This record gives sequence, structure tokens and C-alpha cells, in this order.
Amino acid sequence: MMAAVKVVRVRGRGVLRAEGDIDPVIIRRMHERGIQLLTGQSSAAAGLASLFRPSDRVGIKVNTIAGRRLSTPPEVSLPLSKLLTQTGLLEKNIVIWDRTNDELKEAGYKLQAGSGLRIFGTDAMGAGYTQEPLIHLNIGSLLSTIQADFVTASVSLAVLKDHGLAGITAGMKNYFGAIHNPNKYHDSNCNPYVAELFDLPEIKAKHRLTILDALVVQYHRGPSYNARWAERFESLIFSLDPVAADFIGWQIIERLRKAKGLPSLSEEKREPLYIRTASRLGLGRAAVNDIQLIEEDV
Amino acid sequence: MKRRCFIQATAGAGLAVKANLRAGLQNLYAFGQTANLSHVEARYYKKLPDREIECLLCPRKCKLGDKERGYCGVRQNDGGIYYTLVYGKACTMNVDPIEKKPFFHVLPQTQALSIATAGCNVNCKFCQNWEISQVRPEQVKHFDLPPQAVAEAALEYRCQTIAYTYTEPVVYFEYMVDTSIEAHKKGIRNVVVTGGHINPEPLEALIQVVDAIKVDLKAFNQDFYTDYVRGELQPVLDAIRLIARNKRWLEIVYLVIPTLNDDPGQARNMARWILKEVGPDIPLHFTQFHPQYLIKNLPPTPISTLEKLRQTALQEGLHYVYLGNVPGHEGENTYCPGCKKIVIQRSGYEIEKIELKGGACKFCQTRIPGIWS
Repeated sequence: MMAAVKVVRVRGRGVLRAEGDIDPVIIRRMHERGIQLLTGQSSAAAGLASLFRPSDRVGIKVNTIAGRRLSTPPEVSLPLSKLLTQTGLLEKNIVIWDRTNDELKEAGYKLQAGSGLRIFGTDAMGAGYTQEPLIHLNIGSLLSTIQADFVTASVSLAVLKDHGLAGITAGMKNYFGAIHNPNKYHDSNCNPYVAELFDLPEIKAKHRLTILDALVVQYHRGPSYNARWAERFESLIFSLDPVAADFIGWQIIERLRKAKGLPSLSEEKREPLYIRTASRLGLGRAAVNDIQLIEEDV
Repeated sequence: MKRRCFIQATAGAGLAVKANLRAGLQNLYAFGQTANLSHVEARYYKKLPDREIECLLCPRKCKLGDKERGYCGVRQNDGGIYYTLVYGKACTMNVDPIEKKPFFHVLPQTQALSIATAGCNVNCKFCQNWEISQVRPEQVKHFDLPPQAVAEAALEYRCQTIAYTYTEPVVYFEYMVDTSIEAHKKGIRNVVVTGGHINPEPLEALIQVVDAIKVDLKAFNQDFYTDYVRGELQPVLDAIRLIARNKRWLEIVYLVIPTLNDDPGQARNMARWILKEVGPDIPLHFTQFHPQYLIKNLPPTPISTLEKLRQTALQEGLHYVYLGNVPGHEGENTYCPGCKKIVIQRSGYEIEKIELKGGACKFCQTRIPGIWS
């Protein structure tokens, strides 16, 4: 029998201050502890060094489609990039990126293209998409050259939230922001498209780590921010298994929905079946018994 | 950019389309620069609770949360209001022979000012203009070209028609309708090249302001629409019926793809349906496929296949059945159904001879339907 895969949920009590901003000390501790627990290493730097080589060019794919209130904020992604540099990775070989400069700016990022850490969208001068569509199963898309050409290793640093079409959006669906035509894959609750896109060699072979930003979880009426159904969850979720991370994210959203008296995603006919499809494609695990969930507060 | 510069920069339709992607998708914006999209409220949608909306423009009826885009990629819900992002944002404009659309029964030997914005509401795996149709508007270069400027450009370039073409004009519905109204004020006609995925209400509004519509009927079975178009056949058939019922000039194009939709039995069924529902006088064009986009593993359609389908449709009783993308073939000509003589002789987009007088055959006076003057 195969060993269970690890998913780590670290809760940072007080990470969201009363004004809604993020406590930099607590968020850093959450990253460090999550990576330690996930990799079994004595420090976060050692843990990350077990995942990335110093020569890697690492892409941190954030999700900034929903503006400042429900995107991966710089307060969460910048500490991760700092930790990565502690493994010997050069700052200039780390890029925090998403689809467009506009969306990054609206989420609070300051674009950077100099000799240090890079932050920009696929639509920035010098980036762009592959010249020809990559064709794989039901996918036919141009892929961001940031993912296709620049990075050798990638982190999906996604926001965990309800999604009106997909059921939920988390680590795998975050890569919809890496292609030019995500709107073409919203049929059938994005199934099998999310899974098949992740299965694209340019994504699957480079993906090393999923981190779900669950500081605030939009458990209903996502993917944009809606205060009525947003829960201060104060958590980050870590996994090396992209499917298991999303599966746990799905369970969290279902639990929150149930607690608030909302119907399940299945009852709303938008169960994120792409997670099961991903499991069938061999991309990871999507069953409670196959996953070791480690939860800790910092 | 002035109109003349624009049209020179984008001259030669196919090349312009490809150049747009090659240059456009790679290096669109200087660092920190942003896309210049329109924010004009869409005309066909329904507001739902919690800032959600349902688009009512096409049969897909996208139901979208705040900040989400429709399947077309060019309409977005912002705070519960649905906007078109491409109003007045043409990504290409060219002067083409009207035969290129193709319209064979509309003002032969005239030029059509042909425009498009980005976007499409289906995703044909064989799309010939995918580099502008299957992208979001911010992913291609586009230009501010309001409706009045399009109409003025048509006058300036002596075009008798404006053609809404290349991508799927349904997705830029508001822009197309307003431009058509401006064009009519200046005595210019409007022709539409569409896949026919549009709901009846907006289609009826469109029919009021345009003069001719060419519908791409991609196949005559739902399986093909599911697998290769990602759309529905029935709404397209409904649209064809509605256009014909409203007496708007209609032509139908059927792109023949080897092994996928080249079955003569299907072609026969389609011809029978056309005959029954819209009559024998609607031109039907069988056009040759060339490997494109996501279907690159099939060869161009053999001419013998096209000829077989044409014969099938003629045998079923359709009067005007043409071949397309086969320059110089006899199937490009218009034959009088009365005396069988050639009344319009074509070679590619060139007209070699017109034997019509007052819209009728010069030899036997049989009326040839179309827009001739």
C-alpha cells in the first residue's frame, strides 16, 4: 500500500489584523513551519533546498484576478521569495507572476523587472505566449513564456475560494492564468480541463509545490470577494501533491458551507470533479484515506 | 493612428491577422502599460442576485460572477453590470473583394471594408483566424475605431459594403449594430459573416440593420459541433431559418474537412433541410479545408470530395451550389437554373464575366436572386 501524501495546514492566529492587513511576522512563521512540516527538514531553508536547486529559475504563480481583497497578496508571496533566496537561489531567478500587469498592480504588487526579484505579468514587454498552441488531450492553448521558457520550477501560490463555474479554485486551476484562453475551459465545471491543463508537460514537470492562501476563504459566490460569505480562516495549506492540496481545499469549503447552512457544491451541481479527474490521470491523490492531514497553529 | 495608416498597416487580410498575433501576443505592452479596452454596457443580459449576470446574446447563456468573462473572452461582469470590452476596438481592418467573404450573390466585383475585433463564442479546432478569434482583446493589438470612423473609412476606400468578419461578429454585437446604422446613413450596406450562434432576439435586432448574412454551417450533426466546434447545431439552424423568414439575404458556407464532415449522406441531409426550410435559391458554398490551429494532421480537402458534395446538393434541388478555395474551378461560377448558362464567371476572387441584366439571366430572363445593385 502506498504511503499517504502529506497536506499541511498551518493556522496563524492573529495573522489578519483588525484592519485586515497581514502581520508580517506571523505570515513568515506560517511559511517556515508549513515547509518544515511538509518536508520533514529542520528548517524552512533546508526544506526548500530539498525541492529546488540553486540553479533553478523559480516561478511563483499567484492568483490576482479578484483585486486587492481576494488575491494572493504580496504580503504572502514576498516572504516565500525571501525564504527561497536562503537556499542559494538568486533573487533574479525568482519571478512572481500572473496573467497581466494590471491584475498584479490591482492586487497590490509593484512591478519589478530589474536585476533582483522579478514581478510582472505575461502581457509585459519581453514575456508573452508561445507562438503555437500546445495541444494535449482536450487542451489547445498558448502557454505563458514565463512558464514555458523562463522557469525551471514552479510554485502554485493560489487563493482557495469558491468558484461559480468550477466549484472551487485552488492550486491546479491557478494555472488557468498561464494560458491565453481560460474562458474556453469553463464548460462542464471546468472538468476535465483543469486536470488536463495541469497534465501538460510544461506544467506538470516543473510544478514542485502547492501553497493555498486560505487567510480569507470565500466559501460561496466566488471567485470575487463577497464579504457576506468570506471567512477569516487564517491558514496556509502546503502540499507536494497538487491534487491532495486541492482536495483538502475542497473539503474546507464544503465544511464552511455546511456550517453556514449552504447546500453542498454537489447539490448546487458544481462539484469540482476535475479534482477526481486529476487523480485518475495519476497527478495525485483525491481521497481522505490517501492523505495525511497535519494541522498546527503558530 | 489615422485611418489611412491603420488600413495600410493591416492591409492584406490573412497576413494582417497573422502579423497581429506574431507581433501582438509577444510584446504587447511596455512595462507597466495597460490595455485600452472599452467599457460599454452590453445590450442582452440579465442581472441576477449577488452581482451575477446571465448573458442572453448567444445560446451559451454564460452565467457569470463578478469579474468573470464570458466564453467569448470579450464580455465581462464588473460589479453586476455586463460590459463589452471591444466596442470600437477593431483589431484588423482590410479592403477585400466581397467574393472573399464569400458572398457570390451580393454586389459582385465590389470591395468590402472588412473589420473584426478579438473574440469568438465557439472554439473550432480548425479555425482559420484563431490568432484573433481565440484570444482576449488585450492579447492582440487593437485600434480605436468608433462606428462613425468605420463608415467614413468605407466611403474613403470606395467600399459599397462593410463586412463584419474574420472572427465572430456576434461577440461584438453592439459595435456591429451601431456601425451598421452609421453605414446605412451614408448609403453603405452591411454584410455579416457568422457561425450563427446567436439568440433569436438579438438576431432579429441585427437583421433590421444589415443587408446580408453568411452563416458558416460547420456540419450537419451535433457530434461534430460537440467535438470540433464546442457549440450547438440547433441554434444555428434556427438562426438560418429566422434570417430567411425575415427575407434578409442569406448564403451558407460549409467547410469540408476530410474524414470529419465530408460524408455525402450528411451533405444530402443538409441539402434537403435547406431546400425544405429556406428554399432552393440560397447559395451553398462547399469550401476547401487547409490544416490549421488544432487540426494539423489532416490534408487539404481533395477536390474530388468537394465535387461529390456539390453534385449531391445540386441533385437534391439546390440551385446555387459553389466550391470555394479552388480558384478556376467551374464550381465557382453561377449558372442560370433556367437555361444552365453561366451568368457570373469567376476565377478566385476575380469576376471574369457577368451576364445579368436587372438581376435576371441575360439569356432567358430567369430571375437570379441576390443583391445586384
